[in-house]
Amino acid sequence: MKTIPVEAYFVVSMVLFGLGVIGLIARRNLVTVLMSLELALNAVNVAFVGADAHMGLVEGQIFALFVIALAAAEAAVGLGIIIAIFRYRYVESTDEITDMRG
Amino acid sequence: MEGLMVLAFPLLAFLVTGLLGRQLGDRASGVITVLGGAFSFVFSLYMVYRALHSPVQIKLYEFLPLEGYTLSVGFYFDALSSITAAVVTLVATLIFVYSIGYMEDEFGKWVYKFYAYLSLFLFAMLLIVLSDNLLGIFFGWEGVGLASYLLIGYYHQQRKATNAALEAFVMNRIGDWLFIFGIIATFLVFKSLDIVEIFGKVDTADKALIGIATLLLFGGAVGKSGQLPLHTWLPNAMAGPTPVSALLHAATMVAAGVYMVARLYPVFEAAPQTLKVVAVIGGLTALFAALAATSHTDMKKIIAFSTMSQLGYMFLALGVGDRGGAMFHLTTHAFFKALLFLAAGSVITAFHHKLYDIYNFGGLKKYMPVTYASFVIGAMALAGIFPLSGFWSKDRLIGSYYEASFVWGLVGTVVAFLTAYYIFREGFVVFHGEERFRGIDPHEPREVGAVMTVPMVVLGVMAVVAGFFEGWYMHAVGDEHKDIHLNVALVSLGVAILGIVLAYGVFVKRFLDPEKTYESLKALHTTFREQFFTEKLYHGIFALGYLSYSKVLYAVGERQLIDGLVNGTAAIVQSVGHGLKVLQNGKLNWYALGLGAGFAILVLLFVALIYGGGY
Repeated sequence: MKTIPVEAYFVVSMVLFGLGVIGLIARRNLVTVLMSLELALNAVNVAFVGADAHMGLVEGQIFALFVIALAAAEAAVGLGIIIAIFRYRYVESTDEITDMRG
Repeated sequence: MEGLMVLAFPLLAFLVTGLLGRQLGDRASGVITVLGGAFSFVFSLYMVYRALHSPVQIKLYEFLPLEGYTLSVGFYFDALSSITAAVVTLVATLIFVYSIGYMEDEFGKWVYKFYAYLSLFLFAMLLIVLSDNLLGIFFGWEGVGLASYLLIGYYHQQRKATNAALEAFVMNRIGDWLFIFGIIATFLVFKSLDIVEIFGKVDTADKALIGIATLLLFGGAVGKSGQLPLHTWLPNAMAGPTPVSALLHAATMVAAGVYMVARLYPVFEAAPQTLKVVAVIGGLTALFAALAATSHTDMKKIIAFSTMSQLGYMFLALGVGDRGGAMFHLTTHAFFKALLFLAAGSVITAFHHKLYDIYNFGGLKKYMPVTYASFVIGAMALAGIFPLSGFWSKDRLIGSYYEASFVWGLVGTVVAFLTAYYIFREGFVVFHGEERFRGIDPHEPREVGAVMTVPMVVLGVMAVVAGFFEGWYMHAVGDEHKDIHLNVALVSLGVAILGIVLAYGVFVKRFLDPEKTYESLKALHTTFREQFFTEKLYHGIFALGYLSYSKVLYAVGERQLIDGLVNGTAAIVQSVGHGLKVLQNGKLNWYALGLGAGFAILVLLFVALIYGGGY
């Protein structure tokens, strides 16, 4: 069995993170934005776990678990907010929620 | 210890009336004020007795340790200061008694304030008289300045009174400014502020520096005594209640300038040039004020100008080297001038404080006999009729003038004539002739009550007999007794009688119709009444000049510069905010982009630092 070099993990992580950020910036749908955020978070998880496997440590996994828990909590809150906004205003595009405009 | 009592009682009276006046009521406050003055007078008499044997110096406590000299709060009772203190407290006490009657109409309107101010005033004046160092004198100086401001502006509902108070305060401020510089200069010259110490060092000090110091000190005296060119406040200060006029302008505050110069006389003697200045200013003021008094019609203003003129006499005497005579004249003047003011105040009281113009009265002789007698005695003493007190002190001064130079003597004689004329003009117009008040104020004028007549009688007696103590006084203060020059006395008596006869002829017998005469001499009359236009000049140049200067500064400096800076800063911030508002568009994706971009820039920076050779 060939071991996967650590650089591969990082490359995948970077690509995923980049896609997540692009999604954050470019997408208009609220749910999609939230999903892009999850993607970025999971990209970081990949980097953690890869580095962990390479170094034979355990902290990376612990961190990954933390991030997963955080992402779950955040997704819950975020979805709650999205649903509340949708019920209240019947919009789902970020362009239409500009109440915080200066 | 007894010496401290002299100062403690007025201070105590001030504190009690000032703090508890509401609870005590106005009449009780007045009584407390009188008691404070009276006890102070008793103790000062005792101090006169002590000081005649040997001077008493009381050092209360160390106030300010300086390099090579410790300034302490202390009092020095020699013959001059203790006698002056006795005179001040006596006159003040009588005026306090009188003021109970004078202010009766106003009882219930917080008159206790008035009594508190009076006590404060007396305390400050005694500080001037008794302090043994220049700084103590300065504290008293400022104290009478404050108290006079409060008292002159006592009728604070009247704009006239508040303006007069302000004017008195500001004018005195100019003098005080010179005075404090004089104190500093004196300290630099003598390395001491203690009067007795200074006298010991006069011979060894630099004469030129003494000249500067004394000139500055005299500047303070000019302000306080209402001499030219800081004189305009004095006649206007008549806006206060009459007891105030009597207190300020007879015995105390305005005499403080003369007293200060007399007190420091050994220092002034070391600076002959300063004495020349003192003489010139005094002589000019004497003449100037006497001329102004001849054309005014306000009952109290005439007497105020008279005070100015008499103070000019005293300064002239100091200038020609007759210190004892000046101080003696100050003493006698305190009695008869207070008497005149109180008589005027009685007339004003009889007409319920409504009328002030002498042409509104007339024929009061038979209605107010005591007041009439008081006024006549005061006027005769002022005019220098033998054998009243004014004769002795004044003719001693005029004799000194003639000894110094013929010109000064002539000034003295001319002013004596004018004095007799203007004071008797007032007397004749008010107390003789037709009863002009009938058309204005129909009620019968009545003689004022005993609380007001008794002080007048006492002062009247003093005004008659004070002159006979000339020899004793001179002996006490260490000046030599001068015999009155017979020819000088006859001349000044002659011109005084001439002045009285002239006033009688014009204002009672009406050989000349005064109104028509005034019309024909209108230019002269106006010039005198406007005090040679000095007041207009000051208003025009200093007051209005300062105002317009302020207006320019306001328009340019305040509105343009300062407001421009402040509002400009605000405007810049505002416009920057407007520009940046575009960034805050509320679009979530833009924010995310900014976040990402910022993070990317940071990462790039770190990379550049790490790989660019930074670390």
